[in-house]
Order: sequence, then C-alpha cells, then structure tokens
Amino acid sequence: MEGGYDEARNKFIDGLEKSLVESLGIQGEPELIEMTKGLVRAETARDLDVFMGTRLKRIYRAVAKEKKARARIAEKKRWRQETFQRFNLYFRIQHIILFASVIILIITGLPIKFPNATASKILMSVMGGIAMQGVLHRIGAVLLIAFYVFHTGYTIFNKDGRRDFVALLPRPKDVTDVVKMIKYFFGLSREKPRFDRFSYIEKFDYWAVYWGGIVMVGSGLIMWLHNITLRYLPKYVYDIAREAHSDEALLATLTIVIWHFYNVHFNPSRFPGSLVWWHGKLTKEQMIDEHPLEYERIMKAREGRNG
Amino acid sequence: MRTISYFLLVAAATLVAASASAQAPLYQKCLLCHGRPGFKKVMPDGKVLELFVNRAELENSIHAKLHCTDCHADVMEIPHLKRPGRVNCYRCHYKDNPNGALPANEFFQSVHGKLVARGDPKAPLCQNCHGGHSVQKVDSPLSTVNHQNVASTCGTCHKPQYDNYIQSIHGTALLDRHIRSAPTCTTCHGKHLILRPSNPESNIYPLNVINVCSKCHENKELIRKYNIPGGRISTYKESYHGVADEFGSVRVANCSSCHRAHLILPQSDPRSSINKANLAKTCSKCHPNADVNFTKGKIHVNYKSRSSGIIYYIGLFFEILTLSTLTVLFIHILLDLFRRYRAGEIGKKKEHD
Repeated sequence: MEGGYDEARNKFIDGLEKSLVESLGIQGEPELIEMTKGLVRAETARDLDVFMGTRLKRIYRAVAKEKKARARIAEKKRWRQETFQRFNLYFRIQHIILFASVIILIITGLPIKFPNATASKILMSVMGGIAMQGVLHRIGAVLLIAFYVFHTGYTIFNKDGRRDFVALLPRPKDVTDVVKMIKYFFGLSREKPRFDRFSYIEKFDYWAVYWGGIVMVGSGLIMWLHNITLRYLPKYVYDIAREAHSDEALLATLTIVIWHFYNVHFNPSRFPGSLVWWHGKLTKEQMIDEHPLEYERIMKAREGRNG
Repeated sequence: MRTISYFLLVAAATLVAASASAQAPLYQKCLLCHGRPGFKKVMPDGKVLELFVNRAELENSIHAKLHCTDCHADVMEIPHLKRPGRVNCYRCHYKDNPNGALPANEFFQSVHGKLVARGDPKAPLCQNCHGGHSVQKVDSPLSTVNHQNVASTCGTCHKPQYDNYIQSIHGTALLDRHIRSAPTCTTCHGKHLILRPSNPESNIYPLNVINVCSKCHENKELIRKYNIPGGRISTYKESYHGVADEFGSVRVANCSSCHRAHLILPQSDPRSSINKANLAKTCSKCHPNADVNFTKGKIHVNYKSRSSGIIYYIGLFFEILTLSTLTVLFIHILLDLFRRYRAGEIGKKKEHD
C-alpha cells in the first residue's frame, strides 16, 4: 500500500510538471522542460511531503480499503452465482463415514489376507495383536453398516437422494459415452462426451460400492455371527462367505486405490485432490467441463424462473 | 584347577576299568545279598522295596564292566547300613568325558529336570528312563528309550496319555504295525528338553504344534509312502484358525485342539474326535452352539482346488472379475494420461510470462 502511495505521489508530481510545461508553452524546448522539472522537484515535492503527506496518505488508504472490500463482496457474489452445490450435507457426511470405515477395514483386514507378509506382521503388532485387530475390524464394519442404513434411508426419504438414485441408473447414453470417450482418447474425436449429473465413471463407482457392500456386509456378518448363522446354514456357506469376503475385499481395495484415487487425486487436473467431498461445490468452469448437460439444464431452469 | 581334577578323575576311571577287566566281575560281593531273588525290605510305612539285582541284566548292560560302587558311590562298606542315595550319572557323564556318553545338560531346563532340582523325590532322573542296571545304548532294541520302547517307559508315570497313545493311529502304527517312521512320545515332546505346553519354548506350545505335526504331515515322502492325507498343514494355514495362529493367538484351534494330542484317530474311526458323528462336539469346545451344520462341508478347505466345489468356482469367478475389471480400469487410466499428454496438460513445462 505504501508502495502504491509512492507511485500515486510520483504520478501527481509528474502531472504537475506536465501541466506547467503545457501552460508555459515550452513543449519544444527540452532545456526549459528540464528546468521546470528541476524546480518542481526542488520546491513542490518537499512541500507536498511536509504539508500534504499525511492527509494524502489517509485519503489513499481509505479509498484503497473500500476498493478491497468491494472486490471481496463482488467475488462472493460471483462465487454464489457461479458455483453449484453438487452434494448436500447428508451426502457429504455419508461419504466421510464410508471412507473412514473403508480405510479402517482395509488396514485391519489386509493382514488377514496376507498373513505371511512382513508388512502384515508389523501392522498387526502396531494394532496390538489379532484380538485387537478383530475389535477394530468390527468397529469398521459397524461404521460401514451404519453407512448403508443411512444411505438407504437417504435414497428413500430425501428428495436429493431419490433424484440421485434415479440419475445413477445406467442408461443407453452411458454406452455411447464410453464409445465417445474411447474415440476421444485415440484422437479420433476432438469432443469429450458430454456428461449429465453423473458420468459413466461415477456410475461405475457407485454401483461397485453397492455390489461390494452387499457382498462384504453379507459375508462379513455370516462370519462375525457364525455361532448363529451356522445354526441355520451348513459350514460350506461359511467357506463361500470367507472366500467371497477375501476376494471382494481385494477387488474393492485395488479399485479404490487405483481407480478412485486416480480420478479424484492423481489425475493431473485434480492433483493433489479435489475438496468437493468437503464443501460439495463445483465452479462454473468445472460444471461446464465435467457435467455440461446438467449445467445447461440448471441454467435453463434459472432462466425460466427469472423470465 | 578344574581341568586337573577332571584329568585325575579320568585317570582314576580308566584305572578302575582296566583293573575290572583283569579281575572277576567286581559286583560279586554285592550280589551275595542283592543277587538273591526276592531280596527286599519292608519299610516302616508298609511299602516293600524290591532290592533284587538281576546279574544277567547287569552283564548285558552297557555298564557291564563297572563296579557297583562306581555308580552307588555312597556305599562305603559292605554290608552298608544306610540306604544309598539316588545314583548321579554326572559322575562319569560330564562334559568333555572322552569315554562315556555326553551328558544332556538341557535336561535340567526340562520340566523333569526342574522337579529334580526342586528336590522332588519322585522326579525322574536319567536312570528312570534309560534304565538303571539294564541301561543300554539308545539304538539297542533292548534300550528302554529306544524309539519302539520309549512310550511304555513314559507310560510308567504318564499312564492316561500312554493308554490314549497306544490306541491312536500313531501308537498302533509304531507298536502294532512296526512302522519306524511313526511318532512316539519323544517325536513331539522332545527328548531331554521336555517342557510344559504353556512354555513358549516348548515344541507343543500352541503356536509350535503346527511345526511339530508338519515334520511328518508335510513330508512328501512319508505322505506318499504311508498314504497320509496331504495338504493338511497348508489348508490349516489358509483357514482363519491358521491365520490367527500365525499372528500369535494361543486361544485359536491348532492341530491337536481338534485331532486331540494323544488319542489321534482317522476320521473313519467312530472313536475319533473328527468322526462326523463327533465333530459337532469337538467344534463345540470353542463354538458353543456348534451342531450338525458344522459338519456339512470340509474343514480343511483347499480354496484353490477344484475338489472344493462351489468354493473353488466362487474364487475363480472373483479372480476373473478382479483381473478383467482392473485391466479395463487400468487401460482407461493409461489412455486418459496419454490423451492429457498429447493435449499438453502434462509432461511439458508450463510457460511463465
């Protein structure tokens, strides 16, 4: 700001010189111009600093402050108008519960799948042995089951939940989108497929979790409550549950670590990660880039409401 | 100083042995009394001490050339008035002895040795297992600690375990069918260093049981030769029991929890703990509600074998699903990166103005 003030002061002196040169009519005479400049610097600049400095500074600061405040308000207004609430609070809470439980389950579950690995041994001793591992894994399981109960309720009773569930159902457009994307990848087309609210990538993620959750919770409960389930089911059902639990766990872990992490973290346009899971908002640019059809639909609805 | 005293002792022992071979058997005098069949003493508490010594036994033993007092060193006069103490084999079987067998010093770390050290008069010393007057080399068929005979030797004190063992598949294989590879007590419990099952150093500590059993049950040659069911250890290790065992759970079932420790019998035997009729009871030791459903399906499941039926196909289904899904996803990621590279989003330096 002080730098800005110095610049303004120098410009003021420059202007003074210029107007003196003009009113004296000495534009063509460099020596007289030099003399005027020299006198202005010697007489005025010092007086300006001594008698007007503080006042000019005060004026400068007040206006500059007002300017900043206006800019902030304008930015807020622009953000409000040009960002789109993609995920509501319920949705974001569900995602946080889901990833917290999945992280716990993966960390506590992997050593059981690979008992001979050194890393498993280290992990197990950090957790405090297999008894503690069992407790932690079940805490993760309770969180995951809570998530599914919450999500089912959300899908049935929440308006956004119902809308999203319908929007997530697979459509023929998803197949054509995949074809378009492949063409785009190979440079056969310049246009990326235009996605609606959920791209086929996001639909895949959603249904993968849906399927995986049924397999994991179902098989996990058979094993957790084996003293009850084996009263009604033969032992080979338990073995099937164990095999499925172990295999689906690996599939889910690899899909999350490779696929989901690429799409939301390591992908160059997202790295090191998007915060949509936290604030649930997309900017106008992101909307146009990633969900153009939804963006157009929203804008049309707004126009209809305004007009 | 110790070396010198050792040297003197060795010299003395050699002298005794040399003079023994030159003269008539040195136990002649002792056998005046102890050689009479039925020579015994009735103790104040009514117990009868058999004091007869069989000459033939002595002459056939590995110690045939020793004098009675070489071992019963506390007998100073004949007849002796005091009851001689227990024989201490370490008089000769000390470390670096050039003539005699090497001592098993780890014996004193064992459960038997610790009882001896505590002064328990019933605790077994060397002679209780190896035989006193009849002591033989271990590889002699007459030895009480020979592979064939050691079970009955242990059984003199450990009667219930011996009774179970001789009925078990291991016991019948060794004692009735004379299969030398079949295990006896010492195969699992160790020889001199026998420890309590609760001792983590013990061969039969819950976490170590699998190592003991796998010595034979993972030995391909033995499995083929005696038609032993294979893959028992590997399938156990894959099961949750095996995984928990691997991570140090002593509560979880190991081999002997289900198959029992001594009365191990094949599944076909109706007395067997793993016979279909008894399996639910065996499982219910840990799983309180175990009933007939526990027996429907294999216990040792080989998830990677076609013989496991539906479990194998479930595994195969997931294998195909995982490989195909991840291949597609991976290609999608690579193509996306490739496209971004071509479009100049990555791989090129951003230009600053």
